[in-house]
Amino acid sequence: MNHRYVLSVLIADRVGILSAITSGVTDLGANIEGISQTVVQDYFTVIMTVAFPQAVGEEAIRNAIQSRFHKGEAAVLVRPYISRGRGPVEGDRYILTMSGKDRPGILKALTGYLADKKINVEDLFFRIVGEQVTHIGEVTVPAQLDLKQVQDELRAVMAPFALAIGLQHENLFRATNEVGAIRRLLRP
Amino acid sequence: MYRTEDILHTVRMLQQENLDLRTVTMGINLLDCAGRDGAAVMKAARAKIKRKAGALVRICDQLTTKYGLPIINKRIAVSPASQLLEGHTPKTALGLAQALDQAAAEVSVDLIGGFTALVHKGMTPGERLLIESLPQVLSRTQRLCASVNIGTTKAGMNVDAILLVSETLLKIAGATKEAHGFGCAKLVVFANAAEDNPFMAGAFLGAGEPECVINVGVSGPGVVKRAIERLVEQDPRCTLDEIAEEVKHTAFRVTRTGELIGREVAEMLGMQFGVLDLSLAPTPRVGDSVGEIYQAMGVKVVGAPGTTAAVALLNDAVKKGGAFASSSVGGLSGAFIPVMEDRVLAKAVADGTLTLDKLEAMTAVCSVGLDMILVPGDISSVSLSGIIMDEAAIGIYNQKTTAVRLIPAPGKKVGDKVDFGGLFGSGTVIPVDSSSGSADFVCHGGHIPAPIQSLRN
Repeated sequence: MNHRYVLSVLIADRVGILSAITSGVTDLGANIEGISQTVVQDYFTVIMTVAFPQAVGEEAIRNAIQSRFHKGEAAVLVRPYISRGRGPVEGDRYILTMSGKDRPGILKALTGYLADKKINVEDLFFRIVGEQVTHIGEVTVPAQLDLKQVQDELRAVMAPFALAIGLQHENLFRATNEVGAIRRLLRP
Repeated sequence: MYRTEDILHTVRMLQQENLDLRTVTMGINLLDCAGRDGAAVMKAARAKIKRKAGALVRICDQLTTKYGLPIINKRIAVSPASQLLEGHTPKTALGLAQALDQAAAEVSVDLIGGFTALVHKGMTPGERLLIESLPQVLSRTQRLCASVNIGTTKAGMNVDAILLVSETLLKIAGATKEAHGFGCAKLVVFANAAEDNPFMAGAFLGAGEPECVINVGVSGPGVVKRAIERLVEQDPRCTLDEIAEEVKHTAFRVTRTGELIGREVAEMLGMQFGVLDLSLAPTPRVGDSVGEIYQAMGVKVVGAPGTTAAVALLNDAVKKGGAFASSSVGGLSGAFIPVMEDRVLAKAVADGTLTLDKLEAMTAVCSVGLDMILVPGDISSVSLSGIIMDEAAIGIYNQKTTAVRLIPAPGKKVGDKVDFGGLFGSGTVIPVDSSSGSADFVCHGGHIPAPIQSLRN
């Protein structure tokens, strides 16, 4: 039986970080099962799941990674992996877009509404050019919700920020940007 | 995972460039409503339309919410109504037209097409009845659209039918005189009519089509215009093949949205999905004009030398993008040039840069024909016949669809303005030069034989 862990690393971005992390856990005997990495402004972060043939302990994994960096350079978090079997929400995937002038409080208002409606955020990022911000999110909308009502409420909640808001089924974006048959989008 | 630029590109097409689904058109076969009792035919046709199309608007509205893509028009195209009129009287023709009109209102669609006669090789009594009923029908219904197919590459051109239709056009204009001849805007005279075209006024359910079918018309002239403008802004010295490539890629994206919605509507209604027709169909709104596309390509004065080549480039690139996007592309698929419905084309006619002759040349390479053009109210039926024959010849000999939708505006002279309002737009009466010079030729009547291209077996 495999012993699985989930870990994340936060560190100022530079060349070679991912090589150091993957070497650290692989040399300890791990197989890397999942990974997602991104850089926000000057900071690198990664989340990954790893599996070992024997129990190694959270502290040993953390040390194996931190030994590859200067002291205090990387913040490493390790936890035992607990499988949930499925995503937290069942429903279709929608793309949320918001664009307009950047102001404090946009994300608080948005995520507060989404959490209240049990709409799960699968991915979220934004891009700022000058004073203009563009938020793009992938969210799972529970099947029992009335989509029109969600769209109306979302616009009402975000009205103080005067943003252009869209909440559209992901198939629209797949249809316009992929080359596979449309039939396959409707019957996966 | 999606690329940011891809998401923003799609959002921009919707929010800033007027991408929409111009029409979801349900085809309904009415042949099983035929019978000797006129009242029973009307009742059966109305009941069937209500039964089949009752949920169409609701489902389209649901999908508009789901995808954020506006579905502008929901329409119905029935099998040619002339087939229900064999052995009947003018009273039944009007009654059937009104029953179709009422059924369309009851299911909340904006137009219903298929008051149609296919007379390219000859005319049955029912077809003659339908054509002769048009002045009454089109002046006493609101949503009903009519079409007549007077020629095909396979059958040649039925000139006798053209003479009858031309006389009828003048009668329709007279019957809708208070509305400046608006009834004529609801009649299309076709050569090589497309039997799965979802666009009005020429939609009908042709022979060989299913019992019920969903056909979709996608538009998006604003999206194509902006794509070209961006390309030219980035590289003012870009070549025409680069412009064609840009149009093709844009047409691909637009076509795919149409297939997505069309298939889902069909699935939710339990019907077969037919075709999607990517036709750059303008509206009078700014940013929704085909003429603006030609201007973006560099034809600043529409009608100037080079305009026909620009139409050809655009029409071909749209078809190629559509063909790669989907195997279900059909209908007309290309670029429309309905003069009154397009702000820039209408202005070019008013300015005198776009003439009837130039429009005729453009129709040789666009997807339809002489569309929504105001002609003087005192034009003769023989002159109208000559125009229809010329346009039909372009279609028949080039194996393509052509259509004529002319409006002889009662009491109006060259240069006068007419405003129909809404999507039908406004325009200026165009001159028809030497209009009586071919009367002897036209009045020979009869049939122009099928061209040599028809002998393909």
